[in-house]
Amino acid sequence: MEGLKYQLKSVRRDKMCILTFLLPVVVGIVIHLLSGVNLQSISENRFGVWADHIDADTVDWLQTNGIVTQYETPDELQAAVNDPATQMIGVLQTGNTIQTFISGDELEMNHVIADTLPQIYENQAETLSITKTMIAAASDSDWLHSLLIVMTLAAAMFMGCTFNAMNIISEKEDGIEFINQVLPLTAESYIIQKTLLGFIGGTLSAIITALVCVRIEIEQVLPFLFIILLSAYISAFMGLFIGYFSDGLMAGIASIKVLMILFLAPPIFFYLTVPDGSILFRLSYLLPSSATFYGVMDLLNGQTKALFSSFMALFTHAVLWTIIYILLRKRSEQKQR
Amino acid sequence: MWRGFLHLLKKDFRLMVSGKFFLLALLSLILYSCYINFVYANLDQQIYPVFVYDPQDKLPAAREYVTRLDSREALEAACADQYSVGIDFSHAVPELYMLSCGMETTDHYRMAWGEAVLHGNIDGRAERIGSDNKEMKNRREITAEFLFFELTAVGFLGLASMLFKEKQMGVIRVHGILPVCRPVFILSKLLLLLLSDLVFTLLLTVINLGAAEAVRVLADVLLQAGILSLIMALIGFLCAVRLPDFKQFSLFYLILAVFVTTPVFLAGQTGMKGDWIVYHPMYHLFEAMKGAYFSAPITKVSFYLTCFGTMILLFLLSWQTLNHEMAKEG
Repeated sequence: MEGLKYQLKSVRRDKMCILTFLLPVVVGIVIHLLSGVNLQSISENRFGVWADHIDADTVDWLQTNGIVTQYETPDELQAAVNDPATQMIGVLQTGNTIQTFISGDELEMNHVIADTLPQIYENQAETLSITKTMIAAASDSDWLHSLLIVMTLAAAMFMGCTFNAMNIISEKEDGIEFINQVLPLTAESYIIQKTLLGFIGGTLSAIITALVCVRIEIEQVLPFLFIILLSAYISAFMGLFIGYFSDGLMAGIASIKVLMILFLAPPIFFYLTVPDGSILFRLSYLLPSSATFYGVMDLLNGQTKALFSSFMALFTHAVLWTIIYILLRKRSEQKQR
Repeated sequence: MWRGFLHLLKKDFRLMVSGKFFLLALLSLILYSCYINFVYANLDQQIYPVFVYDPQDKLPAAREYVTRLDSREALEAACADQYSVGIDFSHAVPELYMLSCGMETTDHYRMAWGEAVLHGNIDGRAERIGSDNKEMKNRREITAEFLFFELTAVGFLGLASMLFKEKQMGVIRVHGILPVCRPVFILSKLLLLLLSDLVFTLLLTVINLGAAEAVRVLADVLLQAGILSLIMALIGFLCAVRLPDFKQFSLFYLILAVFVTTPVFLAGQTGMKGDWIVYHPMYHLFEAMKGAYFSAPITKVSFYLTCFGTMILLFLLSWQTLNHEMAKEG
């Protein structure tokens, strides 16, 4: 306990560490403020038209299917369609029909929409005898918003690794590691002290971020807390690993950068593109952040299908990484003797 | 003076090697290239799939975009993704069934799409006015973004880490009494970082765009990479000389990475940009880099003059700050 007091004292002076934990909270607040803005509008169809050369009725029809932007000249319209950052479809009117043009670098979906839009426009004149059933959306929260929240929460949970790594590397640089070797400090108490700091910070940061931007049911609180605790624990251990292998701040920062990219990008990719029964999806549990990501996403969507697998994967990771680290330290201590 | 310069170059090169600078750049290169080639280049989105439950075979066979299912339950399950469209032919009047995705316009279009597939006449071909396909566009886009991120980070962080190491070793104090011209002290670091950034740019472009496409854009890309590398290295130098330790510096770096580059990335990736973004200096550098990759380099003389002016100003500021620090060190 005494050792932990000293660790906390050193944290208080460390602005970098405090900011590391505050950053996800700040991002959480920004997301909360953004909740009024519908982020899903990014995925709406976008049509560009040449103003004054298209009927108001056509513009109205296009507006029922997506966002319409009017351009003063054909050159401006072409430039907007060609802009690689957009998926815009150019629409020109000739008589009662419309013609479309695209840049050619759009997603397959927009190719099909552009190819078939003139025909769909003509179809509106004929009415088919069909009944239409539209089931209203289960919740009004959009998926992009949930994705941003889960990304921020995952980042908050894995922030402990940043803190622990920086803390250990700067201790190495200041020579405190050598002092530790002559102090009556056992490997176990060193690991406990160092892990606890990143663990407590990561947990607190994730809980505050969750309080700011997540509304979950009361019965989901316990599984949610469990995921946070396990993830923060694994992340704190990852920090110990980076601290163990990096011998300079620069190398430490680069390792953290690579680890954060590796922890945050693949789960999003797997979640969005890989079907959840496939082998590739199961393999993604090899990354602890994937388990966190799927678990939290499930809780946010009010489901429980991935919860058990997430718990098991996180628990296995926690045990495995602890054993590997303890073995590593024991080996290096034997070498020093 | 030249001999002194060569010695400084040699010393800085050794410092970079011992700081694992090149190894880290190589690791980043491998990581980025793997992501671009195996993930980002293949990203795509298919049109809304249409699932049909047609027990009496009312729908003519082999319709494009149609997948047949054998029960109403399977149809409802397939449509649960709020993306697919279902058509149930089991009643006298066909029923178009779907779950709202939450966006009115998208739902309206999905409905129209379902009807069009049912109708059967969905032929047509839109005119293609661009020269790239989706894969090449993805490659150009993400390579430009990664390069921008890497140059902003590496130029800034690389020089700073070198300088902090020298500060710790007391090299700045030693240089204060050595007969070495001070601008040369800055220039040797800038030159090495510029060269390593240019090599990184060359490799990243050739690996991810392919040799033929890379040759076409490389001259413009290298020019933009050079500008960005020099500006960021000079800012890194300035901050590293002014700030007392590397930890405070990394705090500054974190703020730069999150708050300065994020809006630029958002604007570049999604086309969502506010009017204020034109006042963001990094946005123009990012657009110039992207333009270079899309064979539409910036031709405005004012842009190049501003960049050149900024570099001179930053260089003079760094020189003055270094003089000040050396005087402080005695």
